[in-house]
Amino acid sequence: MSWKVPKLIPRSAPVILLVLTLAAASGFAAVSHLVNRYTANQQARGRKLHAQGQIDMQAGRYEDAITAFRAALTCDPANSQYQLSLARALRDSNDPRRLDEAESYLLALWQRTPQDAAINLALARLQAHRGDIESATRYYHNAMYGVWDSDLDGNRNRARIELIKFLLQRTARAQADSELIALAASLPLDDPGEHLQAAQLFSQAQDYDGALAQYEQVLRVDPSNSDALAGAGETAYRSGNYTGAERYLRLAVEHNPEDSASRQLLASSNLVLGADPFHSFISDAERNRRITAAFAQAEERLTHCAQQLGIDLKAMDNPPSSSALAGLQARWLLTQPDLKLLRSPAETDLPDAIMDVVFQIEQQTAASCGAPEGLDLALLLISRKREAASQ
Amino acid sequence: MSNRVPGVDPSTSSSSTSVTRVTPSRRLFSTIEGVFNEEVFFLILCVFIGIFSGLAVVCFRLAIDWTHLALLGPLPQTHNWRLFAVPSLAGLVVAVLVLHVFPGIRGSGVNQTKAALYIFNGFIPFRTAVGKFICSGLAIGSGQSLGPEDPSLQIGASIASALGRQLEISREKLRLMAPVGAAAGLAAAFNAPISAVLFVIEEVIGRWSAGILGSVVLSAVASVVIVRSFLGSEPLFRIPVTAFKGPSELLAYAVLGIVGGLASVVFAKSIGYLRPRLKALPRWTQYFQPALAGLIVGLIGFLGFPQVMGAGYASMDEAMHGQYAWKILALLAVLKIVATTVSFVSGSPGGMFAPTLFIGAMLGGAVGGIEHIFFPQLTGSTGTYVLVGMGVLFAGFLRVPMTSVFMVLEVSGNYEIIVPVIVANTFSYLVSRSLQTVPIFDLLTRQDGLILPSLEEDREEAILRVEDAMLSVPKTILSAQDYVDANFRRVQDSTDSAFLVRMHPSGWNIITRDKLQRLYQEGKGELTLASVLPAQSLPSLYPDLALDSAIRYVNDYSLIPVVNRADSRRLEGVVSRDSVFRKYGGMSAVEVPSAT
Repeated sequence: MSWKVPKLIPRSAPVILLVLTLAAASGFAAVSHLVNRYTANQQARGRKLHAQGQIDMQAGRYEDAITAFRAALTCDPANSQYQLSLARALRDSNDPRRLDEAESYLLALWQRTPQDAAINLALARLQAHRGDIESATRYYHNAMYGVWDSDLDGNRNRARIELIKFLLQRTARAQADSELIALAASLPLDDPGEHLQAAQLFSQAQDYDGALAQYEQVLRVDPSNSDALAGAGETAYRSGNYTGAERYLRLAVEHNPEDSASRQLLASSNLVLGADPFHSFISDAERNRRITAAFAQAEERLTHCAQQLGIDLKAMDNPPSSSALAGLQARWLLTQPDLKLLRSPAETDLPDAIMDVVFQIEQQTAASCGAPEGLDLALLLISRKREAASQ
Repeated sequence: MSNRVPGVDPSTSSSSTSVTRVTPSRRLFSTIEGVFNEEVFFLILCVFIGIFSGLAVVCFRLAIDWTHLALLGPLPQTHNWRLFAVPSLAGLVVAVLVLHVFPGIRGSGVNQTKAALYIFNGFIPFRTAVGKFICSGLAIGSGQSLGPEDPSLQIGASIASALGRQLEISREKLRLMAPVGAAAGLAAAFNAPISAVLFVIEEVIGRWSAGILGSVVLSAVASVVIVRSFLGSEPLFRIPVTAFKGPSELLAYAVLGIVGGLASVVFAKSIGYLRPRLKALPRWTQYFQPALAGLIVGLIGFLGFPQVMGAGYASMDEAMHGQYAWKILALLAVLKIVATTVSFVSGSPGGMFAPTLFIGAMLGGAVGGIEHIFFPQLTGSTGTYVLVGMGVLFAGFLRVPMTSVFMVLEVSGNYEIIVPVIVANTFSYLVSRSLQTVPIFDLLTRQDGLILPSLEEDREEAILRVEDAMLSVPKTILSAQDYVDANFRRVQDSTDSAFLVRMHPSGWNIITRDKLQRLYQEGKGELTLASVLPAQSLPSLYPDLALDSAIRYVNDYSLIPVVNRADSRRLEGVVSRDSVFRKYGGMSAVEVPSAT
């Protein structure tokens, strides 16, 4: 078999180069055609596999999704959408070893389009998976101020909300607070849903004033929003504003009688309001009555708690653990005669002194015998409110 | 060497212009033609070789991908019968093609290209390119554990050789066509021009030669441009974040280098042991050897390790991103050595570059994983160890230390890991060299009955220098500005027969005792030596010059001064004919290593 190629090229340098140029151009064109056809076929196959991967991903079958996305990428290795999908699947597969691979895909995409919000958001979530607050915050910010395909404000707020949730989860309160302030400023006034979500985040961050402001914003647009009413009531209750809590919770129960949580909080609020001797707008007689009732209730709570713990408060050889309760019993007995002096106008500090004994008993018994109920709970809440006010 | 463009006959062109009127276009044509002397023409040709090789390699890669997709699917799953059936059947087809249609395409192609340069005057049949394309494409695409780089190298060399022969370029240039095409093919396959150029210099040409460097670089760059225009400039791997924190971590990489060196030796010795034995079996067995290799590789895939099939770049990428535990990585490294050894020694055409990278990557990841268990404070990521491991096997198995370092840098685009790479590669190279004296490509060449020059031998060859044959400075040195009689009196006490004369303001000359005596007796004692000596100075040498450079003078001059490079008037010593030849005579005979 002869493989000799006949001498086809003329023997002159310019002509040789011309012929070589033509041959190279023809070769280039032919290979282009071949590559284009091959690429088109591969891309079609890749699209199919990617679609399958998306279905698997939505169904939570991450392993299948990863396999499908990998196969799609073998068909179209430069496709950034496939890379992003694979990175997301790797990230969400709950396998920490795969985070590195996901990151390298995302970083490669990020280097090409650092302004792409979707890529930054994916990177932010990946860093959030790792618990890297600094990097996650940076990428979330990049995502917020990056380029979105549509609904710029909505996507931006959603990214910020996600960041706040992540920061709260990692107990990064200070950073979460600043993000919450920015979120509150950027929310549209007429969207109760977003304000409701913001209020819940404020509440999680224990910024009850901020939360109440968001609930009130919802109620301005939709006064009968039972979620907002319940939320506002609970927020007011947590912040020690029992008057406000009673108002919102009452409305919440009226709008949604099946809301047992609000009903319970309403009952507690009413108890607090009815038992608080320091409440404004009550007469001296009423104040004295409330102090006397609280003092009696405290003694009862102390006795029950001691019984629950098997401590005889009258015995002299109590174990050291019971000394706190025994001491309180002694203080209670010491203070009891002072009750008669309550009516005396000269004893202005006496209500505080008596209630101080009550509050100490409620706090100690709550610590030793568990959460109280009824009037005891109301007294405990009043004690905490007083403490917060004094701080 | 011919200095005209091939095929252009000046006599015919001048006669034709003498009888016909010279038109402007004809004149322009003649001017253009005059520009192209052979050197310029050859350089331009190198660019075209790069373009054609790049186009061929693009098609080759498409062919491998298409074959793989068609025969095995996009992502082969374990426990699929196709995994062992396809490589076995493809092995049968490859064997028939290799034995009946394309003889001489067995193996990687690097040795054949080197042989073309040194033995066959640059001749590589075009049939080799066609055969390599078809058979390697089928073998690799069907899952044999071989890589596409070495075949690409040979395809490039074959195209270059065919083009050179078509154009009837001079024999000297035709010889250079093979490495030029090889660099283009390899650069296109690896998408890494620097590594390709270095490999061709280290392994194909086998010696540093500035003369060919420009041509090789031109063709390599041209082919990479072509490949990137079609397949994109994406690197072979997605490189993870790699970092090198402190010098103490170098110990970890040194350990990797030692383990890599040992693995290289095992890999090279396995091939060196099995290849001649399989070749020696009856011819009919050669029809089944590739099929058997395919069956073994396929079974490894079927039993749960399809990663070892084909080139394995996707698996390397996964290893780089910590997808496998160290036990799996170690197992993959061992299985790949087995799979590649059986695939290669069976005679299936295909390369060892990709398998070498694969084994190195897996080994690097495994060693890194083990080191992290015992020393959790090590900061190097799995990706870093995988990358360094690739270079380690390259340095230890292929024995191309320069290429191994640049290959890792070019593939990773990260210069932070250059120190770990150099440290690990050096250890690997030294371990491999001490346990396996003959590098793998030389070993294969010698098994084929050829002995070709090697850069490693070149590096280790003892070079004699002038200082080795230098005698101490003579006690009597005459001055050209002194009178003859004064100089004659000075030599009375000396037993030497010839004396060096220091010329003014610089240079050296020589005069014999007899001539000095004759001048004295002729009454020329009142003349200066400068006036009676010939004007031409004695050649002088420098101590660091190769001793070969002294040979051209020793027959003409009895003494040759050896002077300091910074001050040519300062004499370091002298060499004589006797001292030079005594030195050559004292050298031991050059040893020719045996075939195994």
